[in-house]
Amino acid sequence: MKVTVHLHTILQRQTPEGPQRRMDVALLSGSTLADLIEDLGIEMPLEGMLLVVNGRTAPSNHILNEGDQVHLMPAISGG
Amino acid sequence: MQIWRVNTREQTLTREPVPESWKQLGGRGLLARIMVDELPPACDPLGPNNKLIFAPGLLTGHRLSSCDRLSVGGKSPLTGGVKESNAGGRTGLHMATLGMKALILEERPSQPGWWVLHLNKEGARFDPADDLAGLGVYAAAPKLLARYGDKCAISLIGPGGEMKLTGAGIQNVDKDKTPSRINARGGLGAVLGSKGIKAIVFDMSGCDKPAIADPPAWQAAQKAYNKALMGHPQTQSYADYGTAAMTRMTNAFGAIPTRSFSDGQFEGADKISGEAMRELLLQRGGASETTHACMAGCTIRCSNVFGGADGEEIVSPVEYETIGLMGSNLGIDSLDTIARLNWEVNDLGLDSIEIGAALGVAAQAGLLAFGDGEGALELVREIRSGSALGRALGNGAAMMGKLYGVERVPVVKGQALSAYDPRAIKGTGVTYATTPQGADHTCGLTIRAKVDHLDPQGQVEISRNAQMSMAGYDTLGACVFAGFGFAAAPETIRDLLNAKYGWNVSGNILQELGRETIMLEREFNRRAGFTAVDDRLPEWMTREPLPPHNAVFDVPEAELDGIWE
Repeated sequence: MKVTVHLHTILQRQTPEGPQRRMDVALLSGSTLADLIEDLGIEMPLEGMLLVVNGRTAPSNHILNEGDQVHLMPAISGG
Repeated sequence: MQIWRVNTREQTLTREPVPESWKQLGGRGLLARIMVDELPPACDPLGPNNKLIFAPGLLTGHRLSSCDRLSVGGKSPLTGGVKESNAGGRTGLHMATLGMKALILEERPSQPGWWVLHLNKEGARFDPADDLAGLGVYAAAPKLLARYGDKCAISLIGPGGEMKLTGAGIQNVDKDKTPSRINARGGLGAVLGSKGIKAIVFDMSGCDKPAIADPPAWQAAQKAYNKALMGHPQTQSYADYGTAAMTRMTNAFGAIPTRSFSDGQFEGADKISGEAMRELLLQRGGASETTHACMAGCTIRCSNVFGGADGEEIVSPVEYETIGLMGSNLGIDSLDTIARLNWEVNDLGLDSIEIGAALGVAAQAGLLAFGDGEGALELVREIRSGSALGRALGNGAAMMGKLYGVERVPVVKGQALSAYDPRAIKGTGVTYATTPQGADHTCGLTIRAKVDHLDPQGQVEISRNAQMSMAGYDTLGACVFAGFGFAAAPETIRDLLNAKYGWNVSGNILQELGRETIMLEREFNRRAGFTAVDDRLPEWMTREPLPPHNAVFDVPEAELDGIWE
């Protein structure tokens, strides 16, 4: 299956392919967010990130589905 | 430290000892205490009985990273209630070094005319400033710096404050002499204008550094705090992308204000994101800076200088709230246009959130097409002209809604919502509704909480904790981003306070200060006539679904009313 991953701010620099803001990723069926993050080689600790699937916060053991829009964000806040 | 009390009618200064019950407060908490103790709650915000109060935070004055902030407050002409508005720049540092626990401006002149209030260790002096009347802050600040010395701190108003518009703030000069660190919210620029003061000059020259009771303990705590701050993974994100990083985040959550809060996702969000801004500024070079400090000693440096294609500065800084309210909220997807709008409202000394929201209402009323950047600039210039429409815009979103019969007005207690639609981030909606300040992003954002932001359950508790922390940081004089360091090493707050003042406060001091502050603010509002029905989002937000989640604000009213019980 394929999901679309949107990387925010400094996480864009942490992919094997170099800086990427948005990428399609092929995953084995049944993969979780944690699997995806490991595949991508993201180094930020999970507690420092917000994981968002289709506009809603999701835990790292969330099982992904075909076509999901996944956002990985450093957990910042402010304005 | 002393209380500096200035009578703007008699043009006199008295320096008084700090009352016992004010000693353990600073910044926002001290403002609330002074308002409860001294302000007639029914006073006209622009009349002689309102007071404008400046107070540095408890930790301000030592160039401790991100902790030299200034609170300004009084009764708000926008909300009719308690008001604290917070800014960086160098005013807080100068005030603390001058030994000012607070500066209280009272009364108003009996004759028309404009003045500069000059404060240094010798005392106060009023200098005529009619030659500065009508000038924008970018023209006035260099004249003031030339007249009084470019190391001074300056707080000043633009034409918006002179016109007593309720969207007017107070601008502060930063370490680079740029007058764009604004105590933006709630119309405090109009209060300064009502007292006939165009600018206040703070000159700390000849003063000793503020005292520290136990220097070795301070140094140890400072070291621990700096280590926690610099070691935090988010600090780099702020340094590189600034608050503009929020653009893609709120868009991902379906919470970015779009076309006057009618949508939660903006098709142009990527173009106005922090990531796009960084790429653009790096490519442009020249005056552009992606990483910039607003206060001396700040190690986060989340600010920026936005330069044009010609390499010249357009404005500094461009922050997320302005991107949200003057960009997506107006359907504008050009960072250059947002930067130009930002310069205009800065120069007028106006709150970019309030004016952005007012422009959104203007667009609903048919005065502007969404996406029309030049049209938005023309309307902002209308404010400068002083026309009736311009003054209505400068008085903010609620005024525009009344004038044009628009129902969908994004305000709480008369103050515009910041750039998080509360239907999609419901904890922030609880904050907007229940903070005594009126809708305000600095009073307790909840977007970082790892919860389903669309679920009304549990949002009140999340908001309460965020509100107490924020009120605590505002009392310390700490920037919200200093909170990352303090959250990682919470004992450093206690240690810094005890080292500086020789106190013996507990490890829970942040929450204690925050709660005390909010209780005082609520008490002022109660006396000023606020009730539970003021602690509500606009009714249409409980009814009108927000795409893409089609969410309404549905946190039960009983929960809102019980937030402090």
